Amino acid sequence: MSGFTRRDFLMTTAGAVLASGFAGSSSAVASAPKRGGTLVGTWGGFEPQSLFVPAGGGSSPYFTSTKVFERLLRLTVDLKFEPVLALDIKPAEDFRSYTIKLRPNVTWHDGKPLTADDLVFNAMEYWKPISAGVTLDALEGAEAVDPLTVVLKFKVPVPEFFLKSVLAGKAGLVIPKHIYAGSNIITNPVNNTPIGTGPFKVKEWVRGSHVEFVRHDAYWNAGMPYVDKLVIRWWRDPASRSAAFEAGQLDIGTFNPIPAPDIARLIGTKKFIAETKGYSNSAWITSVEFNQRREIFKKREVRQALMHAIDRSFISDTIFFGRAHPSIGAIPSSNSIFFTKDVQDYPFDVKKAAKLLDAAGYPVKSGSRFKMSLVSAGWFEENVKIGQYLKQAFEDVDITVELAIPDRATSLKRIYSDYEYDVAVSNNSGSIELIPQTTQYYTTDGIVKGAAFRNATGYSNPKMDEIVGKMAVETDEKKRVSLVHEFDKLAAIDAPILPMVDLEPVTIARSDVRDHSLTADFMGESWAEVWLDR
Amino acid sequence: MRRIIIRRLAQIIPLIFAVIVMNFVLIHLAPGSLFDVMTSEQQITDPKMLDQLRHTYGVDQPVSVQLAKYIWSVMRLDLGYSYRQNAPVFDVIVQQLPATLILMLAAIGIALLVGVTAGVLASIKVNTIWDNLISLGAVFFFAAPSFWLGIMMTVMFAVKLGWFPVGGMRTIGVDETAVGAVLNVMHHLVLPATALGLFYAATFARVMRASMLEVARLDFVRTARAKGLSGGRVVMAHVMRNAMLPIVTLLGLQLGTMLGGSVVIEAVFSWPGIGSLLFDSVMSRNFPMVLGVLVLGSLLVAVCNATVDLLYLRLDPRIKAR
Repeated sequence: MSGFTRRDFLMTTAGAVLASGFAGSSSAVASAPKRGGTLVGTWGGFEPQSLFVPAGGGSSPYFTSTKVFERLLRLTVDLKFEPVLALDIKPAEDFRSYTIKLRPNVTWHDGKPLTADDLVFNAMEYWKPISAGVTLDALEGAEAVDPLTVVLKFKVPVPEFFLKSVLAGKAGLVIPKHIYAGSNIITNPVNNTPIGTGPFKVKEWVRGSHVEFVRHDAYWNAGMPYVDKLVIRWWRDPASRSAAFEAGQLDIGTFNPIPAPDIARLIGTKKFIAETKGYSNSAWITSVEFNQRREIFKKREVRQALMHAIDRSFISDTIFFGRAHPSIGAIPSSNSIFFTKDVQDYPFDVKKAAKLLDAAGYPVKSGSRFKMSLVSAGWFEENVKIGQYLKQAFEDVDITVELAIPDRATSLKRIYSDYEYDVAVSNNSGSIELIPQTTQYYTTDGIVKGAAFRNATGYSNPKMDEIVGKMAVETDEKKRVSLVHEFDKLAAIDAPILPMVDLEPVTIARSDVRDHSLTADFMGESWAEVWLDR
Repeated sequence: MRRIIIRRLAQIIPLIFAVIVMNFVLIHLAPGSLFDVMTSEQQITDPKMLDQLRHTYGVDQPVSVQLAKYIWSVMRLDLGYSYRQNAPVFDVIVQQLPATLILMLAAIGIALLVGVTAGVLASIKVNTIWDNLISLGAVFFFAAPSFWLGIMMTVMFAVKLGWFPVGGMRTIGVDETAVGAVLNVMHHLVLPATALGLFYAATFARVMRASMLEVARLDFVRTARAKGLSGGRVVMAHVMRNAMLPIVTLLGLQLGTMLGGSVVIEAVFSWPGIGSLLFDSVMSRNFPMVLGVLVLGSLLVAVCNATVDLLYLRLDPRIKAR
C-alpha cells in the first residue's frame, strides 16, 4: 500500500466533483514551463521566529529557509535521490568514508563560488554540532581533496541510504562559510536575511505579514526558477486562507492551509486542486504514549488493552474528516521502503480490552479499574478532540480518566521534561529513514530528560537497543529492511508508544500552478521548478 | 496644564515598574519556559549544547537576578535581545507597532464617528423607529464576536464583491509612489478598522444616547431654547459638548482594551501588528518580547490617558478650577 492517494482523498471528501479536480493535476500536464509571474504561497501554520533557524526550529523556518538554502541531494516523490549541489556521493568499500563531488559553477547570492571548503565547514561546524547532532555522531572528519571534492570519514560503517537521507533531510542545508565562519551560527543576525545558493534571494521580510523573494538570476540550473517572485504570506486563521484563495490572492498552500470542510467547496469551483503527494519524507503521526514509570502502564497487557480500546477509524474519519488513516505498527504506511503490514495490530474491540485488563490484574472495583492522567498536547486543534474522545473511550472500559489539554509550552514540559502523565497524546513527523527520528522513541539512549520528541515513556528493552544498533551499521539495504521489520514488530508488540493515525496533509493549489508536489517533502524544497500557467 | 502633564509622567514610572515585575512573575509561574520551547523546536539534546544555550539565554542565573538585570536594562532604555527572533526586542516591536497604531487610531476614529452620530441620532429621535434600530444595531455589534464579524465582512466585501483585499496591509510586490502607498494602506485598512471599530461604536452609541438624554433635561438647555437658539445649535453646542464627557472617559479606558482586542482582528486580517507577536511570544514564553510589548504598550496607554485628561480640560473648563 503506497498510502492514501489523492484519488482516494477526493473520493471521500469531494465525491461528485472528482473529475474536475484532476483537470489541474500537477504532474499530468506535459506542456513546456512558462517563465514569469509572482507565486504567492503559504502553509497551515504561522510566521517563523526567524527566516532561518540553524538548529531546526520547526516547520515554519524550514519552509522559508529552504527557498534560499539548498542541500546536496533531494528525495523525489517516488523515493529516489536526485543530485542538487552534489553531482555524486559514493561510499568507499568499507562504508567508512564517502566521496562527495560538488556541482561546479554554483554561486552564493553574493556572487562568491561554492567550494569544497564550504562543505567541510558545513560538515564539521554546522551539521555535526548543530543541525544533525547525534545523527552524525559517527562523523569523524571532512577533508577537501580538491576544490570540488570532499571526503567524509566515519568511525563506523554508515549505510548509504542513511547518509543520503541526512544530507537530503532537514539537517543538510548548505550554508556559506564566508558568512558564518568565526561567528555563533545560532545567533548570527544574518539568519533573518539568509544568503544561500538557492533559486530565491530574500528581498524583504515584513514581520507579521510576508516575506518577498526574488529570482536568483545566477542560479546554477539555468532557466530556473520559473517565477520572478515568490511571496510567502502568513495568515493566522485558516478561514482567512480560504477567503484569500477565493479572492485570487493566494496560489498555493501546503500542510492543511484551510479548514477541512472548505476543501470540497474550493475543489468544487474547479479552480483549485487538493494534492496529498509530497509529504512522505515528513510523515506526521498522532501517537499515544504510555509512561513506563507508572506501575500500571509498565504492564504490557495494559498497554495492549488500551490500544484495543481506541477506535482509530473514528479518529481519522470524524476528528480528521478523513484526512488521516489508522496506523499499522510504528512506521507510517507512506514509507514504502520500510513499512510492513506484518505486525501485531490492535483492532477496536472493547470486550477484548476489558478481558485483557481483567487478566492483567485490574478488574472493575466499585465502578472503576484504576485512575489515569491523560495529557493531550494542545498544539494541534485535533488533539483537543482526540483527548476528549480518548477520555470517553477509556471510560468505556471502566477506567477513571483525568484529562488535561495544556498549551504547547506546558505540554512539552509535562510530557518530555517532567514525565508527569500516565498516558499522553503527542505528534511527530518522521523521515523515510528511521534513525534516529523514529527509533529514538524506542531506544534506551533516546531517554534524555528535557529533550522533546524522543523516548519520554522510559521504555527500555535490550533487544530493541540491539536491533536498532544493528540497523545503524548495516550497509546491505535488503538486510537493513528486514532489521527494520524486526524493529517494527517488537515496537508493535511492546507498544510503549504507538501511532494511532497517520495524518494525510493536503496541499491546496490553484489549478494553474504547475509542477508542484514532485518531491518527498515538497514544503521543504526550493520550488525552483514550480511555474504558473497564465 | 503643565502640572498635570508632569504628574502623569511621574505616574508612568511606578506603573512600568509594576508591569515588569508582575508580568515577569506571571510568565515564570506558567509551566514551561522559553528555553524548553526553543530547545524542543530545535531538537537540541546534547547536554553540552544545552548548557551553552542556558548561558547564552541567561537562564542559568536565579530568577531574581534575571529580573534585576532586566529592570536595569530597561532603565537604560534597552529592552533586551530576543533569541527567538534573533534580533533586539525593540527592533522587532518597532517594525510591528506602527501597523497596530494605525489600526487602533482608525478603529477609534470609526468608533467615535459612528458611535457618537448614532447616539445623538437616537437621542434626538428617542422612542421612534430610528432609536429602536440604532439600539438593535448596537446590541448586535456589541454581541457579535469581532473575529466572526471580520470573517463575514471578508466573505462579503472581499470574496463576493471584491471591493477590498482579504488581508494584509498593502499590496505585495508593487512599486508605488508615496501617495499611492498611503491610499493602498487605507484601502487595506477599511475592513479591519471597521470590524474592530464597530464593537466600540456600539458602546459609544449606548453611552452617548443615555448621556444626551440626561443633559437634554438640564436647566441650561431649557435656557438655551428659551433664548431662541435653533434646535440644531442647542444639540450641537450645548447638549453634545456636555454629553461628550462620559464618552471621553470611556475612550481613555478602552484604549487599553483595544490594544488587546486588536489581537483577534489582526489574526483574521493578517494585519502585521503587535497582536500576533504578543500572542506568539506568550505561547513560546519569550519573556523579553512579552515584557517589551507590555512596557511599550503601557507607555502608550499612559500617554493616551494623559491626552484624554488634557481633552477633559478642553471640554470642561470647570475641571481646571478644582
